[in-house]
Amino acid sequence: MPESTEPRPAFAPWDRRELPGLFTVEESARRVGNYKWIEMRLFEALGGWVATVPELDVKLVLGRHCYHHAWHAELWDKRLPELREMNTERLTQPANDAVVRLMESVREPEAPELTIEKLVGVYRVLMPRKIAAYTYHLNVTSTITDAPTMRSLKFVLSDELDDWREGEMLIQSLLGSPETLARATARQEAVETLAVEAGGVAGPGTIGGTVTVDGEVVA
Amino acid sequence: MKKMLPVEELARDERFVRSEITDRIADPRNDRIAERNLGSARLEPDRPAALDRSRSLMHGIFMGEIQALEGAGRTCFDFDDDEVPFALKLDMARQCWDESRHVEISVKLGEHMGTEIGEYAEQTFLYQAACNPDAVLRLTGVNRALEGLAIDVFNTMKEFGEASGDPVLAACEDWMLADEVTHVKMGSDWLRRMTADDPERRERALEFQRVVDKLFSIGGFRGEGDESPIQLARRFRELAGFSDAELDEIAEISEEAAADSRAASG
Repeated sequence: MPESTEPRPAFAPWDRRELPGLFTVEESARRVGNYKWIEMRLFEALGGWVATVPELDVKLVLGRHCYHHAWHAELWDKRLPELREMNTERLTQPANDAVVRLMESVREPEAPELTIEKLVGVYRVLMPRKIAAYTYHLNVTSTITDAPTMRSLKFVLSDELDDWREGEMLIQSLLGSPETLARATARQEAVETLAVEAGGVAGPGTIGGTVTVDGEVVA
Repeated sequence: MKKMLPVEELARDERFVRSEITDRIADPRNDRIAERNLGSARLEPDRPAALDRSRSLMHGIFMGEIQALEGAGRTCFDFDDDEVPFALKLDMARQCWDESRHVEISVKLGEHMGTEIGEYAEQTFLYQAACNPDAVLRLTGVNRALEGLAIDVFNTMKEFGEASGDPVLAACEDWMLADEVTHVKMGSDWLRRMTADDPERRERALEFQRVVDKLFSIGGFRGEGDESPIQLARRFRELAGFSDAELDEIAEISEEAAADSRAASG
Protein backbone atom coordinates (compact mmCIF):
# COMPACT_ATOMS: atom_id res chain seq x y z
CA MET A 1 0.00 0.00 0.00
CA PRO A 2 1.54 3.37 -1.04
CA GLU A 3 2.37 5.98 1.56
CA SER A 4 -0.16 8.85 1.59
CA THR A 5 2.65 11.32 1.13
CA GLU A 6 4.16 9.56 -1.87
CA PRO A 7 4.20 12.04 -4.81
CA ARG A 8 1.86 11.16 -7.66
CA PRO A 9 1.61 12.84 -11.08
CA ALA A 10 -1.23 15.28 -11.69
CA PHE A 11 -2.44 13.14 -14.55
CA ALA A 12 -3.01 9.42 -14.20
CA PRO A 13 -1.25 7.31 -16.84
CA TRP A 14 -4.54 6.72 -18.69
CA ASP A 15 -5.48 10.41 -18.74
CA ARG A 16 -4.33 11.57 -22.19
CA ARG A 17 -6.00 14.99 -22.22
CA GLU A 18 -3.86 17.69 -23.78
CA LEU A 19 -3.50 21.45 -24.10
CA PRO A 20 -4.34 23.75 -25.74
CA GLY A 21 -7.07 22.56 -28.15
CA LEU A 22 -7.95 24.10 -31.49
CA PHE A 23 -10.23 26.95 -30.39
CA THR A 24 -9.50 30.25 -28.71
CA VAL A 25 -11.89 31.57 -26.06
CA GLU A 26 -13.33 33.91 -28.68
CA GLU A 27 -13.88 31.17 -31.26
CA SER A 28 -15.53 28.88 -28.77
CA ALA A 29 -17.79 31.75 -27.65
CA ARG A 30 -18.66 32.66 -31.24
CA ARG A 31 -19.73 29.11 -31.96
CA VAL A 32 -21.69 28.84 -28.72
CA GLY A 33 -23.54 32.04 -29.66
CA ASN A 34 -24.33 30.57 -33.09
CA TYR A 35 -25.58 27.38 -31.45
CA LYS A 36 -27.84 29.31 -29.10
CA TRP A 37 -29.35 31.29 -31.98
CA ILE A 38 -30.04 28.10 -33.97
CA GLU A 39 -31.52 26.27 -30.97
CA MET A 40 -33.83 29.22 -30.24
CA ARG A 41 -35.13 29.40 -33.77
CA LEU A 42 -35.61 25.64 -33.76
CA PHE A 43 -37.51 25.30 -30.48
CA GLU A 44 -39.77 28.19 -31.47
CA ALA A 45 -40.62 26.47 -34.75
CA LEU A 46 -41.25 23.08 -33.18
CA GLY A 47 -43.54 24.72 -30.61
CA GLY A 48 -45.37 26.67 -33.30
CA TRP A 49 -45.84 23.57 -35.46
CA VAL A 50 -47.55 21.55 -32.73
CA ALA A 51 -50.88 23.22 -33.53
CA THR A 52 -50.42 22.78 -37.28
CA VAL A 53 -49.80 19.02 -37.57
CA PRO A 54 -52.84 16.71 -37.53
CA GLU A 55 -50.85 13.55 -36.77
CA LEU A 56 -51.20 13.01 -33.02
CA ASP A 57 -47.91 11.13 -32.56
CA VAL A 58 -45.99 13.84 -34.45
CA LYS A 59 -47.71 16.55 -32.40
CA LEU A 60 -46.55 14.94 -29.15
CA VAL A 61 -42.98 14.36 -30.32
CA LEU A 62 -42.69 17.99 -31.45
CA GLY A 63 -43.88 19.12 -28.02
CA ARG A 64 -41.19 17.01 -26.33
CA HIS A 65 -38.39 18.00 -28.70
CA CYS A 66 -39.37 21.68 -28.40
CA TYR A 67 -38.25 21.55 -24.78
CA HIS A 68 -35.03 19.69 -25.58
CA HIS A 69 -33.87 22.47 -27.90
CA ALA A 70 -35.00 25.17 -25.48
CA TRP A 71 -32.85 23.51 -22.83
CA HIS A 72 -29.91 23.45 -25.24
CA ALA A 73 -30.39 27.18 -25.85
CA GLU A 74 -30.41 27.70 -22.10
CA LEU A 75 -27.16 25.74 -21.68
CA TRP A 76 -25.48 27.86 -24.34
CA ASP A 77 -26.89 31.05 -22.83
CA LYS A 78 -25.34 30.13 -19.49
CA ARG A 79 -22.00 29.27 -21.07
CA LEU A 80 -21.55 32.60 -22.89
CA PRO A 81 -20.71 34.74 -19.83
CA GLU A 82 -18.21 32.09 -18.77
CA LEU A 83 -16.51 32.70 -22.12
CA ARG A 84 -16.12 36.41 -21.32
CA GLU A 85 -19.29 37.45 -23.18
CA MET A 86 -21.32 39.22 -20.52
CA ASN A 87 -23.78 40.63 -23.03
CA THR A 88 -25.08 37.29 -24.27
CA GLU A 89 -27.28 38.95 -26.88
CA ARG A 90 -24.21 40.24 -28.73
CA LEU A 91 -23.10 36.75 -29.66
CA THR A 92 -26.57 35.21 -29.95
CA GLN A 93 -26.37 35.60 -33.69
CA PRO A 94 -26.54 33.53 -36.84
CA ALA A 95 -23.12 32.77 -38.31
CA ASN A 96 -24.00 34.53 -41.57
CA ASP A 97 -26.94 35.61 -43.74
CA ALA A 98 -27.13 32.18 -45.36
CA VAL A 99 -27.80 30.62 -41.94
CA VAL A 100 -30.72 33.02 -41.59
CA ARG A 101 -32.06 31.87 -44.97
CA LEU A 102 -31.54 28.25 -43.92
CA MET A 103 -33.58 28.69 -40.75
CA GLU A 104 -36.28 30.68 -42.56
CA SER A 105 -36.61 27.79 -44.95
CA VAL A 106 -36.68 25.21 -42.16
CA ARG A 107 -39.44 27.16 -40.36
CA GLU A 108 -41.48 28.06 -43.45
CA PRO A 109 -43.96 25.13 -43.87
CA GLU A 110 -47.25 25.77 -42.09
CA ALA A 111 -50.20 23.99 -43.72
CA PRO A 112 -51.45 20.79 -42.05
CA GLU A 113 -50.67 18.69 -45.13
CA LEU A 114 -46.96 19.65 -44.98
CA THR A 115 -45.84 17.43 -42.10
CA ILE A 116 -43.26 15.67 -44.28
CA GLU A 117 -41.75 19.00 -45.31
CA LYS A 118 -41.61 20.14 -41.69
CA LEU A 119 -39.93 16.97 -40.47
CA VAL A 120 -37.48 16.57 -43.36
CA GLY A 121 -36.13 20.10 -42.97
CA VAL A 122 -35.45 19.50 -39.30
CA TYR A 123 -34.54 15.83 -39.03
CA ARG A 124 -32.83 15.16 -42.36
CA VAL A 125 -30.96 18.44 -42.79
CA LEU A 126 -30.74 20.64 -39.71
CA MET A 127 -30.27 17.99 -37.04
CA PRO A 128 -27.50 16.12 -38.90
CA ARG A 129 -25.80 19.46 -39.49
CA LYS A 130 -26.05 20.31 -35.79
CA ILE A 131 -24.79 16.89 -34.77
CA ALA A 132 -21.81 17.39 -37.08
CA ALA A 133 -21.05 20.83 -35.68
CA TYR A 134 -21.32 19.72 -32.06
CA THR A 135 -19.22 16.62 -32.70
CA TYR A 136 -16.49 18.66 -34.36
CA HIS A 137 -16.44 21.12 -31.47
CA LEU A 138 -16.27 18.26 -28.99
CA ASN A 139 -13.42 16.61 -30.87
CA VAL A 140 -11.15 19.61 -31.34
CA THR A 141 -11.60 21.92 -28.39
CA SER A 142 -9.28 21.63 -25.41
CA THR A 143 -10.29 18.79 -23.16
CA ILE A 144 -8.96 20.72 -20.18
CA THR A 145 -9.53 24.43 -20.75
CA ASP A 146 -12.91 24.12 -22.49
CA ALA A 147 -14.23 21.22 -20.43
CA PRO A 148 -17.44 23.04 -19.38
CA THR A 149 -18.39 23.48 -23.04
CA MET A 150 -17.59 19.83 -23.66
CA ARG A 151 -19.84 18.74 -20.83
CA SER A 152 -22.74 20.70 -22.33
CA LEU A 153 -21.90 19.37 -25.80
CA LYS A 154 -22.18 15.81 -24.53
CA PHE A 155 -25.60 16.44 -22.95
CA VAL A 156 -26.77 18.19 -26.10
CA LEU A 157 -25.44 15.51 -28.43
CA SER A 158 -27.16 12.80 -26.43
CA ASP A 159 -30.50 14.58 -26.98
CA GLU A 160 -29.75 15.37 -30.60
CA LEU A 161 -28.94 11.78 -31.51
CA ASP A 162 -32.04 10.44 -29.77
CA ASP A 163 -34.27 13.10 -31.29
CA TRP A 164 -32.79 12.72 -34.76
CA ARG A 165 -33.48 8.97 -34.61
CA GLU A 166 -37.06 9.54 -33.47
CA GLY A 167 -37.67 12.18 -36.14
CA GLU A 168 -36.21 9.98 -38.84
CA MET A 169 -38.53 7.13 -37.82
CA LEU A 170 -41.52 9.47 -37.99
CA ILE A 171 -40.47 10.49 -41.50
CA GLN A 172 -40.09 6.88 -42.61
CA SER A 173 -43.56 6.10 -41.25
CA LEU A 174 -45.00 8.89 -43.43
CA LEU A 175 -43.28 7.85 -46.68
CA GLY A 176 -45.82 5.42 -48.04
CA SER A 177 -45.89 6.28 -51.74
CA PRO A 178 -43.71 7.50 -54.62
CA GLU A 179 -45.38 10.89 -54.24
CA THR A 180 -44.46 11.29 -50.57
CA LEU A 181 -40.94 10.03 -51.28
CA ALA A 182 -40.57 12.63 -54.03
CA ARG A 183 -41.76 15.36 -51.67
CA ALA A 184 -39.26 14.33 -49.01
CA THR A 185 -36.40 14.17 -51.49
CA ALA A 186 -37.22 17.55 -53.03
CA ARG A 187 -37.53 19.15 -49.63
CA GLN A 188 -34.24 17.70 -48.43
CA GLU A 189 -32.42 18.96 -51.50
CA ALA A 190 -33.90 22.44 -51.17
CA VAL A 191 -32.96 22.84 -47.50
CA GLU A 192 -29.61 21.08 -47.87
CA THR A 193 -28.68 23.52 -50.62
CA LEU A 194 -29.12 26.36 -48.14
CA ALA A 195 -27.10 24.49 -45.51
CA VAL A 196 -24.26 24.14 -48.01
CA GLU A 197 -24.42 27.85 -48.84
CA ALA A 198 -24.24 28.61 -45.11
CA GLY A 199 -21.18 26.41 -44.66
CA GLY A 200 -22.90 24.65 -41.76
CA VAL A 201 -24.70 25.91 -38.67
CA ALA A 202 -21.64 27.85 -37.52
CA GLY A 203 -20.69 29.07 -40.99
CA PRO A 204 -17.66 28.02 -43.08
CA GLY A 205 -15.35 25.82 -41.04
CA THR A 206 -18.22 24.39 -38.99
CA ILE A 207 -16.66 20.94 -39.24
CA GLY A 208 -13.09 21.94 -40.00
CA GLY A 209 -11.05 23.73 -42.61
CA THR A 210 -9.91 27.28 -42.21
CA VAL A 211 -11.83 29.32 -39.66
CA THR A 212 -11.62 33.08 -39.74
CA VAL A 213 -12.98 35.72 -37.39
CA ASP A 214 -12.96 39.32 -38.63
CA GLY A 215 -10.58 38.28 -41.38
CA GLU A 216 -8.12 36.59 -39.04
CA VAL A 217 -7.43 32.88 -39.26
CA VAL A 218 -8.20 31.48 -35.82
CA ALA A 219 -8.25 27.74 -36.49
CA MET B 1 -45.23 30.11 -40.73
CA LYS B 2 -47.38 33.01 -39.61
CA LYS B 3 -47.68 34.35 -36.09
CA MET B 4 -50.98 33.95 -34.22
CA LEU B 5 -52.65 30.82 -35.57
CA PRO B 6 -56.45 31.19 -35.40
CA VAL B 7 -58.48 28.51 -33.67
CA GLU B 8 -60.10 27.45 -36.95
CA GLU B 9 -56.71 26.26 -38.18
CA LEU B 10 -55.94 23.86 -35.33
CA ALA B 11 -54.94 20.63 -37.08
CA ARG B 12 -56.77 17.42 -36.17
CA ASP B 13 -57.17 13.99 -37.71
CA GLU B 14 -60.55 12.60 -38.78
CA ARG B 15 -61.43 11.15 -35.38
CA PHE B 16 -61.97 14.55 -33.82
CA VAL B 17 -65.37 16.29 -33.84
CA ARG B 18 -65.76 19.89 -32.79
CA SER B 19 -68.77 21.57 -31.15
CA GLU B 20 -69.42 25.09 -29.94
CA ILE B 21 -69.74 25.76 -26.23
CA THR B 22 -72.78 27.93 -27.00
CA ASP B 23 -74.51 24.88 -28.51
CA ARG B 24 -73.79 22.93 -25.36
CA ILE B 25 -75.16 25.67 -23.12
CA ALA B 26 -78.25 26.10 -25.30
CA ASP B 27 -78.89 22.36 -25.54
CA PRO B 28 -82.68 22.01 -24.94
CA ARG B 29 -82.07 18.82 -22.99
CA ASN B 30 -80.38 20.82 -20.24
CA ASP B 31 -83.69 21.98 -18.76
CA ARG B 32 -85.00 18.45 -18.47
CA ILE B 33 -81.76 17.29 -16.89
CA ALA B 34 -81.95 20.12 -14.37
CA GLU B 35 -85.50 19.12 -13.45
CA ARG B 36 -84.34 15.68 -12.38
CA ASN B 37 -82.50 17.10 -9.34
CA LEU B 38 -80.66 13.97 -8.28
CA GLY B 39 -78.96 15.70 -5.37
CA SER B 40 -75.21 16.16 -5.18
CA ALA B 41 -73.44 16.60 -8.52
CA ARG B 42 -70.08 15.58 -7.08
CA LEU B 43 -68.17 12.91 -8.92
CA GLU B 44 -68.72 9.98 -6.57
CA PRO B 45 -68.43 6.30 -7.50
CA ASP B 46 -71.78 5.20 -6.09
CA ARG B 47 -73.77 7.41 -8.45
CA PRO B 48 -75.28 5.49 -11.38
CA ALA B 49 -73.71 7.70 -14.08
CA ALA B 50 -70.34 8.07 -12.36
CA LEU B 51 -68.37 5.88 -14.75
CA ASP B 52 -69.81 7.52 -17.86
CA ARG B 53 -69.19 10.96 -16.41
CA SER B 54 -65.63 10.10 -15.45
CA ARG B 55 -64.94 8.81 -18.97
CA SER B 56 -66.40 11.97 -20.46
CA LEU B 57 -64.30 14.07 -18.08
CA MET B 58 -61.18 12.11 -18.98
CA HIS B 59 -61.80 12.78 -22.67
CA GLY B 60 -62.28 16.43 -21.81
CA ILE B 61 -58.94 16.39 -20.00
CA PHE B 62 -57.32 14.81 -23.05
CA MET B 63 -58.69 17.55 -25.32
CA GLY B 64 -57.68 20.24 -22.85
CA GLU B 65 -54.14 18.90 -22.70
CA ILE B 66 -53.82 18.93 -26.48
CA GLN B 67 -54.92 22.56 -26.61
CA ALA B 68 -52.70 23.49 -23.66
CA LEU B 69 -49.78 21.90 -25.55
CA GLU B 70 -50.67 23.84 -28.68
CA GLY B 71 -51.10 27.08 -26.74
CA ALA B 72 -47.74 26.79 -24.98
CA GLY B 73 -46.10 25.93 -28.31
CA ARG B 74 -47.60 28.96 -29.98
CA THR B 75 -46.32 31.19 -27.16
CA CYS B 76 -42.82 29.93 -27.96
CA PHE B 77 -43.30 30.99 -31.57
CA ASP B 78 -45.69 33.95 -31.64
CA PHE B 79 -43.52 36.48 -29.83
CA ASP B 80 -40.18 37.87 -30.99
CA ASP B 81 -37.12 38.10 -28.76
CA ASP B 82 -37.81 41.75 -27.98
CA GLU B 83 -41.44 41.10 -27.00
CA VAL B 84 -41.04 38.54 -24.21
CA PRO B 85 -38.08 37.47 -22.05
CA PHE B 86 -35.99 34.50 -23.15
CA ALA B 87 -36.74 32.80 -19.82
CA LEU B 88 -40.48 33.03 -20.45
CA LYS B 89 -40.08 31.16 -23.72
CA LEU B 90 -38.00 28.53 -21.94
CA ASP B 91 -40.83 28.08 -19.43
CA MET B 92 -43.33 27.68 -22.25
CA ALA B 93 -41.12 25.10 -23.96
CA ARG B 94 -40.93 23.19 -20.69
CA GLN B 95 -44.71 23.39 -20.49
CA CYS B 96 -44.89 21.94 -24.02
CA TRP B 97 -43.07 18.84 -22.82
CA ASP B 98 -45.27 18.57 -19.73
CA GLU B 99 -48.49 18.93 -21.73
CA SER B 100 -47.23 16.44 -24.27
CA ARG B 101 -46.79 13.91 -21.46
CA HIS B 102 -50.25 14.77 -20.14
CA VAL B 103 -51.75 13.97 -23.54
CA GLU B 104 -49.94 10.63 -23.51
CA ILE B 105 -51.15 9.92 -19.97
CA SER B 106 -54.72 10.95 -20.87
CA VAL B 107 -54.81 8.68 -23.93
CA LYS B 108 -53.67 5.72 -21.85
CA LEU B 109 -56.04 6.54 -18.97
CA GLY B 110 -58.89 6.95 -21.45
CA GLU B 111 -58.26 3.45 -22.77
CA HIS B 112 -57.94 2.22 -19.18
CA MET B 113 -61.35 3.71 -18.37
CA GLY B 114 -63.05 2.45 -21.51
CA THR B 115 -63.26 5.44 -23.81
CA GLU B 116 -61.40 6.32 -27.00
CA ILE B 117 -60.25 9.35 -28.93
CA GLY B 118 -63.19 11.08 -30.60
CA GLU B 119 -65.96 9.54 -28.50
CA TYR B 120 -66.83 13.01 -27.18
CA ALA B 121 -66.83 16.35 -28.98
CA GLU B 122 -64.00 18.88 -28.70
CA GLN B 123 -64.57 22.47 -27.69
CA THR B 124 -61.83 24.92 -28.42
CA PHE B 125 -62.22 27.74 -25.94
CA LEU B 126 -59.07 26.73 -24.08
CA TYR B 127 -56.97 27.37 -27.18
CA GLN B 128 -58.92 30.58 -27.82
CA ALA B 129 -57.71 31.91 -24.46
CA ALA B 130 -54.21 30.98 -25.61
CA CYS B 131 -54.56 33.20 -28.70
CA ASN B 132 -54.52 36.52 -26.86
CA PRO B 133 -52.03 38.83 -28.61
CA ASP B 134 -50.77 40.19 -25.27
CA ALA B 135 -48.35 37.64 -23.78
CA VAL B 136 -49.23 38.66 -20.21
CA LEU B 137 -52.95 38.20 -20.80
CA ARG B 138 -52.26 34.91 -22.52
CA LEU B 139 -50.25 33.59 -19.59
CA THR B 140 -52.75 34.87 -17.07
CA GLY B 141 -55.71 33.35 -18.92
CA VAL B 142 -54.01 30.05 -19.63
CA ASN B 143 -51.59 29.47 -16.76
CA ARG B 144 -53.61 30.96 -13.93
CA ALA B 145 -57.23 30.45 -15.01
CA LEU B 146 -57.09 27.28 -17.14
CA GLU B 147 -54.19 25.53 -15.49
CA GLY B 148 -55.82 26.52 -12.20
CA LEU B 149 -58.94 24.74 -13.37
CA ALA B 150 -56.74 21.77 -14.26
CA ILE B 151 -55.63 21.66 -10.61
CA ASP B 152 -59.29 21.43 -9.60
CA VAL B 153 -60.06 18.78 -12.23
CA PHE B 154 -57.03 16.60 -11.50
CA ASN B 155 -57.64 16.73 -7.78
CA THR B 156 -61.28 15.77 -8.32
CA MET B 157 -60.25 12.87 -10.58
CA LYS B 158 -57.55 11.79 -8.14
CA GLU B 159 -60.10 11.65 -5.34
CA PHE B 160 -62.50 9.77 -7.62
CA GLY B 161 -59.74 7.25 -8.37
CA GLU B 162 -59.08 6.77 -4.67
CA ALA B 163 -62.76 6.44 -3.82
CA SER B 164 -63.48 4.01 -6.64
CA GLY B 165 -60.49 1.78 -5.91
CA ASP B 166 -58.55 2.70 -9.05
CA PRO B 167 -54.92 3.25 -8.01
CA VAL B 168 -53.77 3.75 -11.63
CA LEU B 169 -56.13 6.68 -12.11
CA ALA B 170 -55.30 8.17 -8.70
CA ALA B 171 -51.53 7.92 -9.20
CA CYS B 172 -51.51 9.35 -12.73
CA GLU B 173 -53.74 12.26 -11.76
CA ASP B 174 -51.45 13.02 -8.84
CA TRP B 175 -48.44 13.22 -11.17
CA MET B 176 -50.26 15.57 -13.53
CA LEU B 177 -51.43 17.63 -10.57
CA ALA B 178 -47.79 18.21 -9.59
CA ASP B 179 -47.04 19.59 -13.06
CA GLU B 180 -50.09 21.85 -13.04
CA VAL B 181 -49.08 23.45 -9.75
CA THR B 182 -45.77 24.33 -11.46
CA HIS B 183 -47.56 25.78 -14.49
CA VAL B 184 -49.85 27.96 -12.39
CA LYS B 185 -46.86 29.21 -10.43
CA MET B 186 -45.14 30.10 -13.72
CA GLY B 187 -48.19 32.17 -14.69
CA SER B 188 -48.27 33.95 -11.33
CA ASP B 189 -44.52 34.68 -11.47
CA TRP B 190 -44.60 36.06 -15.02
CA LEU B 191 -47.69 38.16 -14.30
CA ARG B 192 -45.88 39.75 -11.36
CA ARG B 193 -42.57 40.25 -13.19
CA MET B 194 -43.93 41.57 -16.47
CA THR B 195 -46.39 43.99 -14.91
CA ALA B 196 -44.22 45.23 -12.03
CA ASP B 197 -44.18 48.71 -13.59
CA ASP B 198 -47.49 48.54 -15.40
CA PRO B 199 -50.45 48.25 -13.01
CA GLU B 200 -52.94 48.92 -15.80
CA ARG B 201 -51.68 45.96 -17.79
CA ARG B 202 -51.81 43.81 -14.66
CA GLU B 203 -55.43 44.78 -14.04
CA ARG B 204 -56.32 43.96 -17.67
CA ALA B 205 -54.68 40.57 -17.24
CA LEU B 206 -56.52 39.85 -14.00
CA GLU B 207 -59.80 40.92 -15.59
CA PHE B 208 -59.10 38.50 -18.46
CA GLN B 209 -58.48 35.80 -15.86
CA ARG B 210 -61.86 36.55 -14.23
CA VAL B 211 -63.60 36.23 -17.59
CA VAL B 212 -61.94 32.89 -18.26
CA ASP B 213 -62.61 31.68 -14.71
CA LYS B 214 -66.29 32.53 -15.10
CA LEU B 215 -66.46 30.84 -18.49
CA PHE B 216 -65.14 27.64 -16.96
CA SER B 217 -67.56 27.83 -14.07
CA ILE B 218 -70.58 27.84 -16.38
CA GLY B 219 -73.52 25.90 -15.01
CA GLY B 220 -71.76 25.44 -11.70
CA PHE B 221 -69.23 23.10 -13.33
CA ARG B 222 -66.52 24.13 -10.86
CA GLY B 223 -67.20 25.36 -7.34
CA GLU B 224 -67.36 24.43 -3.68
CA GLY B 225 -70.97 23.29 -3.35
CA ASP B 226 -72.63 19.94 -3.95
CA GLU B 227 -73.96 21.10 -7.30
CA SER B 228 -70.43 21.33 -8.74
CA PRO B 229 -68.87 18.13 -10.11
CA ILE B 230 -65.43 19.76 -10.02
CA GLN B 231 -64.42 20.99 -6.61
CA LEU B 232 -62.17 24.00 -6.04
CA ALA B 233 -58.85 22.54 -4.81
CA ARG B 234 -57.84 25.24 -2.35
CA ARG B 235 -54.85 23.43 -0.84
CA PHE B 236 -53.10 22.78 -4.16
CA ARG B 237 -53.97 26.24 -5.49
CA GLU B 238 -52.31 27.75 -2.42
CA LEU B 239 -49.16 25.81 -3.30
CA ALA B 240 -49.35 27.37 -6.76
CA GLY B 241 -49.38 30.87 -5.32
CA PHE B 242 -53.05 31.78 -5.06
CA SER B 243 -53.88 33.91 -2.01
CA ASP B 244 -56.92 33.29 0.17
CA ALA B 245 -58.53 36.43 -1.27
CA GLU B 246 -58.00 35.17 -4.82
CA LEU B 247 -59.45 31.79 -3.94
CA ASP B 248 -62.49 33.43 -2.34
CA GLU B 249 -62.96 35.45 -5.51
CA ILE B 250 -62.84 32.34 -7.71
CA ALA B 251 -65.37 30.65 -5.41
CA GLU B 252 -67.57 33.73 -5.72
CA ILE B 253 -67.27 33.77 -9.51
CA SER B 254 -68.21 30.09 -9.56
CA GLU B 255 -71.24 30.74 -7.36
CA GLU B 256 -72.32 33.59 -9.66
CA ALA B 257 -71.99 31.34 -12.67
CA ALA B 258 -74.08 28.66 -10.98
CA ALA B 259 -76.74 31.23 -10.04
CA ASP B 260 -76.80 32.54 -13.62
CA SER B 261 -77.33 29.01 -14.81
CA ARG B 262 -80.17 28.36 -12.34
CA ALA B 263 -81.85 31.60 -13.38
CA ALA B 264 -81.50 30.76 -17.07
CA SER B 265 -83.18 27.39 -16.61
CA GLY B 266 -86.08 28.99 -14.77
